[in-house]
Amino acid sequence: MNRRQLLLIGSRLLQVVPVVILATVAIFGLLQLVPGDPAAVIAGEYATAERIADIRRMLGLDRPVWEQYVVWLGHAVQGDLSASLITGQPVLDEVLRRLPNTLLITVLALVLAVLIGVPLGILAATRVDRPTDRIVTTIASLGVAVPNFWLGMILVGFFALGLGWFPTTGAASLTQDPLRALSHAALPALALATGGIAEITRQLRSALIEVLSSQYVRTLHAKGLSNARILWQHGLKNVSLTLLTVVGLVFNRALGATVAIEAVFAIPGTGSLVVASATNKDFPVVQGVVFVLVLIVIGLNLMIDLLYSLLDPRVNRR
Amino acid sequence: MHRRHALVTLGALAATPFLAVPSPARAEKRRGGILKVSAPFNPSTLDPITGGLGSDHMVLYPIFDTLVDFEPATLAPRPGLATSWEFTDPTTLVLALRPDVLFHDGTKMDAAAVKANLDRARTDERSAVKGDLQSLQSVEVVGPLQVALRLSRPDTALPLILADRAGMMCSPKAIAERGRQHDRNPVGTGPFRFERWNDNDAVVLVRNEAYWDKQRPYLDGIHFRIITDLNTGLRAVLAGETNFAYRLNPQQKIVADRMASRVRVSSTPTIADYHLLFNYGRAPLQDVRVRQAINFALDRDGFNKAALLGLGVPAQTMLPPGYWAHDESLNNFYTHDPARARKLLAEAGHPNGIDIRFFGYSDQASQQRHEIIIEQLRQSGIRAQMMVGSSADMYQRFMVQGEGDMLLALWTGRPDPSQPFLLVYGENGFNNAGKVPPPPEMVRAQAASQSESSQEARKRAFAQLERAALEHALSAELAFVPGIEVFTPNVQGYVPNLLGKPKFNDIFLAD
Repeated sequence: MNRRQLLLIGSRLLQVVPVVILATVAIFGLLQLVPGDPAAVIAGEYATAERIADIRRMLGLDRPVWEQYVVWLGHAVQGDLSASLITGQPVLDEVLRRLPNTLLITVLALVLAVLIGVPLGILAATRVDRPTDRIVTTIASLGVAVPNFWLGMILVGFFALGLGWFPTTGAASLTQDPLRALSHAALPALALATGGIAEITRQLRSALIEVLSSQYVRTLHAKGLSNARILWQHGLKNVSLTLLTVVGLVFNRALGATVAIEAVFAIPGTGSLVVASATNKDFPVVQGVVFVLVLIVIGLNLMIDLLYSLLDPRVNRR
Repeated sequence: MHRRHALVTLGALAATPFLAVPSPARAEKRRGGILKVSAPFNPSTLDPITGGLGSDHMVLYPIFDTLVDFEPATLAPRPGLATSWEFTDPTTLVLALRPDVLFHDGTKMDAAAVKANLDRARTDERSAVKGDLQSLQSVEVVGPLQVALRLSRPDTALPLILADRAGMMCSPKAIAERGRQHDRNPVGTGPFRFERWNDNDAVVLVRNEAYWDKQRPYLDGIHFRIITDLNTGLRAVLAGETNFAYRLNPQQKIVADRMASRVRVSSTPTIADYHLLFNYGRAPLQDVRVRQAINFALDRDGFNKAALLGLGVPAQTMLPPGYWAHDESLNNFYTHDPARARKLLAEAGHPNGIDIRFFGYSDQASQQRHEIIIEQLRQSGIRAQMMVGSSADMYQRFMVQGEGDMLLALWTGRPDPSQPFLLVYGENGFNNAGKVPPPPEMVRAQAASQSESSQEARKRAFAQLERAALEHALSAELAFVPGIEVFTPNVQGYVPNLLGKPKFNDIFLAD
């Protein structure tokens, strides 16, 4: 690893601090705007005002908002994501228990998006304005427009309830039972992937069209190189940076979309955890999930930056 | 002795069964198998005393036996951990306990354990059932298997109160050792032992091999999968991934009916009803004529047809038609009469109609119900300004903070019919937002309903309570909801109950 790459890693790690603080402050602020009171939830259906006040005191909810945040942050930087207000369970345990389920469907969605989106993009770009291109771009537009949770329900109705090929709900551990885990993850991943497939197809198509119509490609043609060689050796190499950028964006978006998909498929992941906690204003849990997800996203961006420098040495020389 | 028998059997005799109980399966009750249940809510806690959600019961019933049990169809009391009970005088209730009952931790369930439990329920600062045990002054261990409950006033509602949370017995040893952790790691005497609870994911129970009834349970365990989206929960049953889904909407019953080859659908009446709660501590609902106008403006049949697809039963009071304590002559007390509603509003000084602040919950199904109600009221010149939020929040704002004029809520019903009137209209009732003392005739009838021991006398008291609630229009009851459950064909021995809270204890799985 050269000095430039080390510097990159260093600066990215430093970036984590302000991003995490900004993200958690924003989430904390938003949660304050949401109506609701965790103390009321804990107190149950027939609580008195005194009991709610007691619970608020016990949880420290009677303290100023900024103080609650600072206390939380103080613990978080020491690796203690504190405990859920509602259940009293450690947040980190809960997040780590659920994270594999969410990552599995997100990563699988990304793999599907690349495996389907890249060939489609190439197909469209090499047949510009011909029927194949029109069909592919139309499908891609649809893919962007279709809400993934709706598609999820359609997929369940057809492949799970109708044909019985896949389970309709739940998740399994990838390490303990990989086959079952994949069969559980298949439909939610496919539903999550549609947006990504469409995005990759469209971006790859336009980037590839640009490259293939550039002057050096004309020169390559003049030199007598075959179409296939131009595409594989020169065209795709040049659009790989675009592809990488889009893949990063698709992953981040899929991670966010798990909130709806996990509800449709009853997957115990971080998305459903955030929804359940946000409705109860259980801010330590919401903060904990956001904290971990921010770390993942920043980690991924860093990886992509490093890949840039591998794929395109010019990045290093700049 | 006679009194005891009188009390135990009276409920069963006087109660008119109006629940069509499916005849128990003739098949041999097969042992073994795990029942997987789509549960729509994460439990608040699994300690019966500290939890506060009506949806917890489905998970609590298998872990905890209650001192008194109830007949599913009539809610008449029947022996539970207490084999019999007797009011030796109007303020002393003596319970005889079942011998040879062990908690899941191996300790004995005896008179001392019952005393420890009831004392905890009425005094512990975290207890959510103190309100149910207001009349209980002290508990005395009379013998190893006999306890005497000393009351501050006659309270014939107590036996059935002991069929609810307050009567669920936890191991005193576990409570002492685990403290707050008992919320998440409970120890009872029920047919199933607690094994594991992952929040918003699963609760796993396994067979209690040492259960006092050697025949039961039939199942090896119950796995509750917490699936908060009802449609997803139903899909899991349709796909055979879980065996049972409950608390479904009428709309989902239609979906399940179409899949009749895969699942069984049960729809039975319950004592749970949708009602509009009023804050009559201040204007404009302080005026009884305005409250009556709202009651006349509502089209209960229309609400039942539109919101419950006609599967519910229109309601006048919190006691349903056909229920033993209900006075059938009140079934048409309020009819849909917009002209009369307008006239009452005019008399109350609102000739141009009236604006009221209407609170409700923000989920989709609730919003649908709100729209129906808003439109019905509008036709009588009552303009409802809607305000929605999460159920816990809106409930607190309405009941505790005293905001808003009217709240649409689901009353989940109680085993004993005196409880609803006390909790909703009583001066300190949790659902009496304005904390206005009830009318004197209601106070008298309430006392009679709790001190009379003969079922006939209690019935008269309930008729007075119902009539007073209607005449003073203290709330507007809309419709009793059906209990809708969907299960796979191999689920046998399920008996729905009038509370609308399914018990899984006696279920077995056919081959």
